Amino acid sequence: MTNALALARPSVRHLFVGLLCLPLFLISAVSQAASYTLYIKAGTHTINGAGGTTLKVWGFTDNPSTGPMVPGPLLESQEGETVTVTVYNQHTLAHNFVVRGVTTDTASIPAGSNKTYSFTTPKAGTYLVSDTLNSNINREMGLHGALVVRAAGGVKKAWTNGPSFDLERVWIVADMDKPHWNDIAGNGGSVSTGTYKPNYFMMNGLGGHDAMHDPNTVLQDSPGKVGLVRIVNAGQFDQSLHFHANHFRVIDDDGLRLSSPEYGDTINVQAGTTAMVLFPLRSGIYPMHVHSAQLETANGVYLNGVATLLVGQ
Amino acid sequence: MNRKLLSMNIGTALAGLALVLAPLTPAAAARLGNATVFNAASGVTIQVNPLDKLMSDGQTVRFWVFCAGGGGGGGMGGGGCYPSGPTLELGVGQQLNVSLNIMMAPQENPPYNGHTIHWHGLDVNQSEDGVPETGASVLGDNYSFNVDSRYVGSHMYHCHVHTVKHLEMGMYAPLVVKAVDNSGNFTNVINSGGPTYDYEWNLMYSSVDPAYHSAVGDSTTFADYNPKYFLINGNEGRSKTAPAETVTAAPGKKVAIRLFGVQSVNSSFEIKDAGGASQSFTVHNKDGYKLPSTQTLTKLDLTPGQTADVMLTLPSTTGSWYPQVTFKNLRNGGAYANGTSYVRLNF
Repeated sequence: MTNALALARPSVRHLFVGLLCLPLFLISAVSQAASYTLYIKAGTHTINGAGGTTLKVWGFTDNPSTGPMVPGPLLESQEGETVTVTVYNQHTLAHNFVVRGVTTDTASIPAGSNKTYSFTTPKAGTYLVSDTLNSNINREMGLHGALVVRAAGGVKKAWTNGPSFDLERVWIVADMDKPHWNDIAGNGGSVSTGTYKPNYFMMNGLGGHDAMHDPNTVLQDSPGKVGLVRIVNAGQFDQSLHFHANHFRVIDDDGLRLSSPEYGDTINVQAGTTAMVLFPLRSGIYPMHVHSAQLETANGVYLNGVATLLVGQ
Repeated sequence: MNRKLLSMNIGTALAGLALVLAPLTPAAAARLGNATVFNAASGVTIQVNPLDKLMSDGQTVRFWVFCAGGGGGGGMGGGGCYPSGPTLELGVGQQLNVSLNIMMAPQENPPYNGHTIHWHGLDVNQSEDGVPETGASVLGDNYSFNVDSRYVGSHMYHCHVHTVKHLEMGMYAPLVVKAVDNSGNFTNVINSGGPTYDYEWNLMYSSVDPAYHSAVGDSTTFADYNPKYFLINGNEGRSKTAPAETVTAAPGKKVAIRLFGVQSVNSSFEIKDAGGASQSFTVHNKDGYKLPSTQTLTKLDLTPGQTADVMLTLPSTTGSWYPQVTFKNLRNGGAYANGTSYVRLNF
């Protein structure tokens, strides 16, 4: 197995500006602001382990001196904050930046130019971030990520006065069709979107062999602790995620908050949608994996697809 | 293979017979369908047999199937030796007692040799979870645990070795948790505190890509899923006139239909009458857990790994309804060619 520490995603940069010096009692009454600078680049993304490969990708990054990140940097805020995102398009094609259900500007950012988006986060939840242009090709090529909006004040509740949790994870799942889409689009060719046969399936950009050891993906804490799992399906295929060890409670179905407890062991997260579940950890080590045949593989190699671990210890 | 064929092993057969009869107390509902049913608390031995099944297009597909209650290898004997069988039932608080014996079982070469049983949806401890990657034996095992009343409803069990291959091969079956009375007999409630039913019928969906049945190991075949056959309870049912299963119940009675989604693609369940008009049904449980409030629907999606328990009341006049499952691709929900399977419910 690969060394997990070497593969941990770079930590998220949450850049607060202003207001932090205000007296504490004022903070809840005055909206804060977060700002990000993102760069759209072409590059490569590697799936490690058996069956793995290096894919040509297009992606967002917050580091001007590195290649693209797949998924892009996690954007974080709290309810009611103002978020400002400046996107520099350093690729040769036009792209855009859309936070699904939050921003409405779908106009393209021409190659070589930039645009600044400013929005107020409407309600706590989990949102798909993507480039919506080019018949899903841009999203598939790696231009996707997530915005997490937390309860005001940083309390460990899914939303203000919502259900409590002890720890949280963001699982961004995706798929890529190397021969029919990434190889062709990555070489400047024209993708025939009628054919899509993805052969790579990822959690947070990782194949299962890495995702089962990645501390930012594995849900691990003491037994009894409740994990809030924010699931974003940035792929083209619906994903049916099966949790061993315990039933989860669905609290948010693609932005719809569920007030009555609905439990399950398998949640279908449709392509381009999100869900939030609460999962109480049980003592031991258990898998969480997608229950559809080939989505568990990396080009056919078992368990190097969408899979991670639920660890109570 | 005759699904009703019981083991030639007399001792085990008698035990199995007792298990089949055990739930048929006055409080129990009638079972619909051909499934061979065992009480999981009474000592069931599961084996794995090969099965060559002739499909509707004349092709033969090799399956690996669970058989319960004994029987030798090589396709001999045992109960429920077909995809989606044998059914196990477990009473609340009763100790499951199931052994997996893989002697003479068809299997792959290492690292995917052997088999396990994963108790899908029952939230068992790691030692009973049947996952080789977290320590389960693949050489045969004894499983023992019990569950509480939250689990009354539909679950399933399946092999968890190289599941992209073994699940596809047919190693899956329904597992139903039942409420029990003070004497330990199963009762006919849909969930703890829920309504009673007169009949119960298990419908397990699966999909078959024959290429997955011949590929082994870390093959690129497993990167692309192209199902050609769509099964309910192990049979194709490509039309209303050739249903996967036909059952008969009395008019005016309440029927519980348990849906087990072990297929690898998306699906929609509907019930239509002979004229094609949709009939509504009420969903009580999802993934073996009671819903906070029931849902009355005419269409229910079930994705890979999900289960649901629904109920309906039959008309007071005679007729036939056609429960049906449309299998849909994961990309855009388009239905597969020959992707609707039917069963028939006469009343």
